[in-house]
Amino acid sequence: MATTERPEGRSLGDRVYDMLFHNYVWQSIFRSGYPNTPRNQMLVVATNVFLHLHPTRIHRTHVKITHTYCLGGLSFFLFLGLTITGVLLMFYYVPSVERAYEDILALETDVRFGILMRNMHRWMAHGMVIMVLLHMMRVFYTGAYKPPREFNWVVGVVLLVLTLLLSFTGYLLPWDQLAFWAITVGTNMVGSAPILGEPNRFALIGGFVVGPNALIRFYTLHVIGLPLLAAIFMAVHFWRIRRDGGLARPL
Amino acid sequence: MVATAQETAASPAVRARARRQRDEELLVWPDLVFVEFIAAVVFTLSLTALSILINAPLLDRANAGVTPNPSKAPWYFLNLQELLLHMHPALAGVIVPTVALIALGAIPYFDRSHDGQGEWLATPRAKLNLIIGAVVGAVGTLLLIIWDGSKHVVLWARLTGNDVSDWPTKLNWLRSARALQIHINWPEELLSIPLGEKVLRTDLLGLPRVDLNVNLPALIVEQALPTALMVGLPLLMAFILHRQGIARTKRDHMIAQFSGFIAVFVVLTVIGTAFRGQGMELLWPQDVGMPVS
Repeated sequence: MATTERPEGRSLGDRVYDMLFHNYVWQSIFRSGYPNTPRNQMLVVATNVFLHLHPTRIHRTHVKITHTYCLGGLSFFLFLGLTITGVLLMFYYVPSVERAYEDILALETDVRFGILMRNMHRWMAHGMVIMVLLHMMRVFYTGAYKPPREFNWVVGVVLLVLTLLLSFTGYLLPWDQLAFWAITVGTNMVGSAPILGEPNRFALIGGFVVGPNALIRFYTLHVIGLPLLAAIFMAVHFWRIRRDGGLARPL
Repeated sequence: MVATAQETAASPAVRARARRQRDEELLVWPDLVFVEFIAAVVFTLSLTALSILINAPLLDRANAGVTPNPSKAPWYFLNLQELLLHMHPALAGVIVPTVALIALGAIPYFDRSHDGQGEWLATPRAKLNLIIGAVVGAVGTLLLIIWDGSKHVVLWARLTGNDVSDWPTKLNWLRSARALQIHINWPEELLSIPLGEKVLRTDLLGLPRVDLNVNLPALIVEQALPTALMVGLPLLMAFILHRQGIARTKRDHMIAQFSGFIAVFVVLTVIGTAFRGQGMELLWPQDVGMPVS
């Protein structure tokens, strides 16, 4: 049986630490130990499913805040935050013309932290639109769309459109005057397209005016259709960053 | 022994380069993960604070019978709604955004060089092109909005001490874009040119036939003039920048055009959000009131 060398006179702290982190259960979850050596630090990044979005090493200029301002990362972070607050909001919201507005009122008055949840969802949604736009500007002005990253820029443009659509479809859900007329104005723009405009508008809102069909369509797109699409495009976006050698570098 | 043989096979320059690259690299844990963690914490705290301080708007229950004045789209579409005031709805609502998105996506296929990659505005003349593009885009858009809102007439009245109605009748056609249609004596036959059903063969797509009856002045004001301005002005800027030697490479042109686009986008969004009041009239922000979004 293998024995580990145990130096004499270990402090209480060391022994507690060993008990907590050097036991069978802990090591079955985290294989590489606390990342306090370069080897373990690289191992933890390479083997952890969440951290392995990153490479194990990165050029020192890319760690500078002013190089990226974390804009892409923050957009993704906002997407995650919106997913969490969105799921919580779904517990209390029924997308029917009779109930939607009452549910929002109830959320604000009857549900503990309900108003905080709704506020966070709203401000994060606006924040995500702003972050994605700023991220696009950062990528442009640092020339990060250049070969071999051309197609990833296109994926980014698709993600920008999906972000706008996610925000737009969510805008209708409170079913108040602001929501109703903003969506009426917005979908009228779609309807103004030559020839195909009116059929597209009809398909989008499920009728000639914004009503119950529009609400259920926007809700379905907002909570499952568009987030799924966005998640797929994000996966491609992040994957290609890694495949193309991380962030762009001067040649 | 094998390793040594391989090492000696690579030239000293190659080995030195590999060593240099490694020297300039940091480990993602802790250097990057730490930055990301701090950014996430700061962001979560500030968003929580914002959400405690400011409530999301909630107006009265939706009522299809009561139209608020003005009715506005969400703020990020107010740029398009602003365009809608100046041109044909098909152009403003669909064609312009579609073309803009395609052009945006096509940037890397147009500018394929590696110049200035991975650094902020690293090519020579980059900042100059950014500033010129942004200023031309912003000022140009503002001037066009002022013209189409007839605010140059108000300005003229203020400066000369006249009343707005004193604007010379002969110059009425200069009041706005629409004035070109109303205040010019167009020949009667140009107001309704019958083109029939043979021009636009929508029936080939299985759609109803379109009986085209063209109103030439309206076509000019709503479609031809805006298209000419939106295509022509960026081209004119590119031409002048090229002739002046300010934009010499594709990257230079891209920076000027992209900056112009962003400036136009921002100006249209701000005007649509804060400067459009009742009846989408062009007003000062204090007369418009607090935007709700």
